[in-house]
Parts: sequence; structure tokens; C-alpha cells
Amino acid sequence: METLLFFQQDVIPAFLKGLRVSILLILPSAVIGLVIGIVSGALRAYGNRGVRLVADAYATLFRGIPLVVQLFMWYFGLPYFNIYLNPFAASVIGFSLCSGAYHSEYVRGAFLSIKRGQLSAALALGFTRLQMVTAILLPQGFRRALPGCGNELIYLVKYSSLAYMITCIELTGEAKILASMTFRYTEIFFAVGLVYLALVTFASWLLQLAEDRLTVPGFEHHKL
Amino acid sequence: MADESILRVENIKKAFGKRHVLKGVSLSIRKGELKVLMGPSGAGKSTFLQCINFLVMPDEGEVWLEGSRINHARKHDLYGYRQQVGMIFQDFNLFDHLPALDNIAIGLARVKEMPKKAARERAMVELERVGLSDHAHHYPAQLSGGQKQRVSIARALAMDPKVMLLDEPTSALDPELIGEVLAVIRNLVANGMTMIMATHQIGFSRALAHEIVFMEDGQIVEQGPPVKMFSDAVRERTRAFCAKISELYGETF
Amino acid sequence: MPEGLLAVITAFPYLVQGSLVTVAVVVGAMLSGLVLGVLLAVAHVYGHRSVRLLARVYVWFFRGVPLLVLLFLFYFGLFSVLGINLSAFTVAVIVLGLISAAYQSQIFRGAILSLPEGQFKAARALGMSDLKAISSIILPQALRFSIPGWSNEYSIVLKDSAVVFALGVAEIMARTHFVATRTYQYLPLYLAAGFLYLVLTFMGVKALRMLEERVRIPGYSRPGVG
Repeated sequence: METLLFFQQDVIPAFLKGLRVSILLILPSAVIGLVIGIVSGALRAYGNRGVRLVADAYATLFRGIPLVVQLFMWYFGLPYFNIYLNPFAASVIGFSLCSGAYHSEYVRGAFLSIKRGQLSAALALGFTRLQMVTAILLPQGFRRALPGCGNELIYLVKYSSLAYMITCIELTGEAKILASMTFRYTEIFFAVGLVYLALVTFASWLLQLAEDRLTVPGFEHHKL
Repeated sequence: MADESILRVENIKKAFGKRHVLKGVSLSIRKGELKVLMGPSGAGKSTFLQCINFLVMPDEGEVWLEGSRINHARKHDLYGYRQQVGMIFQDFNLFDHLPALDNIAIGLARVKEMPKKAARERAMVELERVGLSDHAHHYPAQLSGGQKQRVSIARALAMDPKVMLLDEPTSALDPELIGEVLAVIRNLVANGMTMIMATHQIGFSRALAHEIVFMEDGQIVEQGPPVKMFSDAVRERTRAFCAKISELYGETF
Repeated sequence: MPEGLLAVITAFPYLVQGSLVTVAVVVGAMLSGLVLGVLLAVAHVYGHRSVRLLARVYVWFFRGVPLLVLLFLFYFGLFSVLGINLSAFTVAVIVLGLISAAYQSQIFRGAILSLPEGQFKAARALGMSDLKAISSIILPQALRFSIPGWSNEYSIVLKDSAVVFALGVAEIMARTHFVATRTYQYLPLYLAAGFLYLVLTFMGVKALRMLEERVRIPGYSRPGVG
């Protein structure tokens, strides 16, 4: 009973406060990251040699270096150039660029897996380049990239917790503060874990829904 | 009444959901006999064979080996029984990660717990018997279909089975490779191995089988010695099927 | 010589020692994840209904809760409550291992499911018990086909290892930050750290590719294909 009261009075308000920050972190990062990913993925698939080189380098670097290191670079490193970002901004930039690199990998793979023959066939039928892109390329590219990009978005929900490490106090940060004050680490972190679990499960369910809605025979990948 | 049969199967029934694949099939076979199962696709031949060694669990029915009933509920008894019944699959099912020699030896080493060296020696003997000693160290991916099937026969023989079940052993082979496998099976018959074989090879069956068992729709509709079956078949369907098979596979009576 | 470069060069040996700690964490996590992952995968594919459910719940939990939360939960929470006193390093390896096991089990499960059904059938036809069939026929093949996925998992665990900095484990990230706060050369030092991670990734992936070559089955590139 005492635990219940504790939860009601202390935990829930703290969690809600943190959750608000988490969502404010996740949504912009997701959108920006996706846009960066789509653009760089397209450039990597269809660009000329120079463009491809730059985009490939971006993807390799930002996928190879740990997210934590990247976050620290934006927050602690940029002051070297006299740019001072607050923790929130540094986190959003860090998340966007990092997940953008992963998105670009899936987008590139999706575009490359579409047989060129289909595009040629479309042009041969008299489609304009634009029509070919919108009617043939994008619908298929979208379907093929959906599982990968969708999973990356789900990862973003989890990795948003790392913002705490550059002092951006979101859900995990609030939990840590509360736990340090009350020493009730086990209950609080278990509860916070369940909140993330709920978010992740919900997001996965949405992704599955989207995949099922858009499924076309022959596009199913090995469902595990 | 003494039971002379080496293997006796009674009233096997199996349904997959609503589909009744086997509707009460019984068969017995004496030592040294070759019985051939024939029938259209979907007749249940393959399922029946797999019920005999309980790879597929029948819903009803019993099996006796040399007079003793097999209690398939007891795992220990089941494994022991399977060691005495060899099975040859249409798709060979060699263990892809092992070279030919080890495919044969592994049953001896892991199931019969023979020491590795002895298992390999015995495996080599079996491999020579099917004419593939040169390929001892080749992996299944490097063997032709006919060679794979011969290795799988050697693998089954190494276990010294009392009965062999062959599930369309040549159906997955290119025509020119069928002969080498049939030659090995012919040898087995000559050496007195007891076998139940499902096949479309009419010429072979007519020449060597002691009894042809015709199945359709999950039941045995006719059975008898080849001479009787191929010339005197009472049911029109049996005769029509045999004629169709020989037409498809280029066999002549 | 620019201050940044000087700081990096001076600190480099210290950072490289941190790499050893990082590698130790990663190896510990991957190996424990391997053992537990194989057990989970086998349970998930071949187990009874209740066992399968347990496996699914485990995977759902350890893939859904963020790493940082789990680290705090175990280090400050569970182990304290249970009265078990473990070093930050040990807790890091345990938590990373538990999480990796969840992901690895899915890799192994996929590989097991991709094997032709006939492999298991033939093993049973010879009279092998399920356990013998799984250990001598299924796993030797499935594990070989899992190496590419495992390689991917390695680079993920390597990057996640930077997070254990939050528990105070003296790996690359912790040491880099330590030096940076004292020399104020944050950017050059973090770039150096990034470089170290890239090198470790490259070496690990290369090593696994060599392993894949060594254990390759002649002529057999994909399950079910000759």
C-alpha cells in the first residue's frame, strides 16, 4: 500500500515529466533521421561516383562509431568550434544523424533490390521519369525498406534513453534522479523498463500492422 | 497360430485435420520379401511408410517387429525400434555437413555408440558395397543424385536393419541416374533383405517384387503377386493406373 | 604541435588499454550470449508450449527494455537487493550477455528453421533421440549459417559496450571522457575514441569472416541448395 502511494505521488509525475521530454526527443529525431536516411540512401543508390563516396562515408562512419561517442561529440566537442548546444539540441542532432545512417542503409538496399528492368519497362511504356519514380520506384522501395526502417525507429525509442548521458533529463534521467533520492532502485527501474517495453511493443505492433496492410504476394520476407 | 511375419502392421489410421490420409491400412511381410506399394499421388503411400517407423505418429494402429509389439509411447523402445528399421527417402536427406563416410558412420557412432574408428571402418565397407569408396570424403553437395541415394542406402544398411522402408527412392533422380540405384536395390533383394518400397518403377517391381500392393485414397484396394496384378487385375482402376504409369515412365510390360 | 593532437598522442596508450577492457566486455557478453542464445533458440523451435512461451517472453523483455535502464536496474537494483556484490565490469558483461542472448537466439532460430525438414527426419529414422539429432545434425549446420548474423551482432555489442561507461567501467569511453575533462580537448579525443571503435569493428568482422571460411562446408552455400 505504501508502495502504491509512492508510485502515485512521486513516480508517476516524474515519469510523465520525463516521458514528455522523451517524446519531444523521439519525434523530431525520427522524422529528421528518416529524411536524412531517404535522401542519402537514394544518393547512394543512384548518385554519381563522387556523391556516392561522400554518402557512403557518412553511413559508414555514423554506423561504425557508437551513438554515445557521437552524442558526446555534439555536446562536448562542438564548443571547440565555439558552438554551444544545449543537451536537448545535441541529443536530437546526434539521434538524427546516427539513425539517418542506418535508414540510408535500408533505403539504399531497397532501391538496389528493385530490378532495373522494371524501370526500363516503365520508360518504354512512355512513363515520364517522374511518373516512373512515383508509380513504380517509390511504392516498391517503400515496401522493401519498411521492415528495416521501422525497426530502426523502434531502436530509436530505446536509445533515446542515452540522452541522459549528456545530461538531457528524459524518462531515464527522471528515473535515475528519483531512484538516487529514494534508493528504491529496483522498483523504479523495473517500472521504467516496463514503460519502455510498452512503448516498444506498441511501436512494433504498429509496424506489423503497416507491413501487413502493404503486403503484396511475393514481397513477404521470411516471417519469424 | 504362429506369426511368421518379420514385420506386421495393423489398421493404421492417420488424419491431418479433416483430411483422412490413411483409413485403416494393414500389411505384413515375411523375411526376405520385397513388397511394392503403388498408387496415385495422395494415396497415402509415403505417409504409411512414415507411420511404420513412427516418423509420423498414427492416430490408430499397431506395429509388431518379429512378434513383439512396438510400444511407441516409450521413447527408449521407439529409438531401439528405429535402429532396426532402415528408411530411404525420396529426397535422400543426407546430412549436409558431413562427408559421405561420416554420413554412414554417424549412426554407428552416435546411436549405437561404436568407437569412431570402428564406425568408420564399417562405414567404408558399406560404401564399397554400393560402389562409392572413391567418394568417401566428398560432401553431399559434391555428389550426384544417384550417388547421394546410394550413400543413403549405405547409411541405412550400416545399422544392420531387419527391414528397409524405401519411399520412392528414384523419383527425384534424373532418368540416367535411376539405373545405378536400382542396381543396388536389386542386390539387396538378391541378398535377402526384407523391404517395403513405394515406387513407380513398374518393370523393376514386376521382375523382383513378391507382392504388389495397390493403394488408393488411404486404403489398400488390391494386392497380389506381380503376375496376377499386371495381367489379371480385377479392378479397372488398378489396370488403368499401371497402364498410365508405364506410359508416363516409358516402361513396357 | 596543436594541443589536440598532443593530448591524443599522450593519452593514446591509456585509451588503448581501455580497448582491452572493451574487448573483454564484448567477448564476455558475446560468449555468454552464445550459450544462452543457443539454449533459447532450441527451446523456441523444439520446446513444449510453455517452454516456447518462456523463450518468447524472455526475448520480448530483453529486446524491449533499453540497455541503460537494464544496467541501472541490475547494478543499483537487483544485485543490491539480493545482497550480491559484483563489480561494474561483471554486471556489464552479464547484462550485455542477457540482451545479446535474446538477439542471438533469433539469429540461431532463423538458421535452424532454414534447414530442410529432411535433416531432422533422417536423424530420427536412424534412431537418434531428439537431443542427439539437435546436437549432431541440426546445430553444426545452423551455427555455420549463423556466422554472418553473428558478425552483425558483434558490431552492435561493441557499440553498446560504450554505454557501460555509465556504470564506471574503465573502458574506452570512460577513459576518453576522463582525459577530456582534464585536458579540455574533447573533440580530438572523442575522434580518437571513434577511430578505436572503427578499428575494433573492422578487426572483429574480418576475424569472423575468416572463421566462416574455415568452417565452410564444401559446395554448400545456402541451406537446401546443393
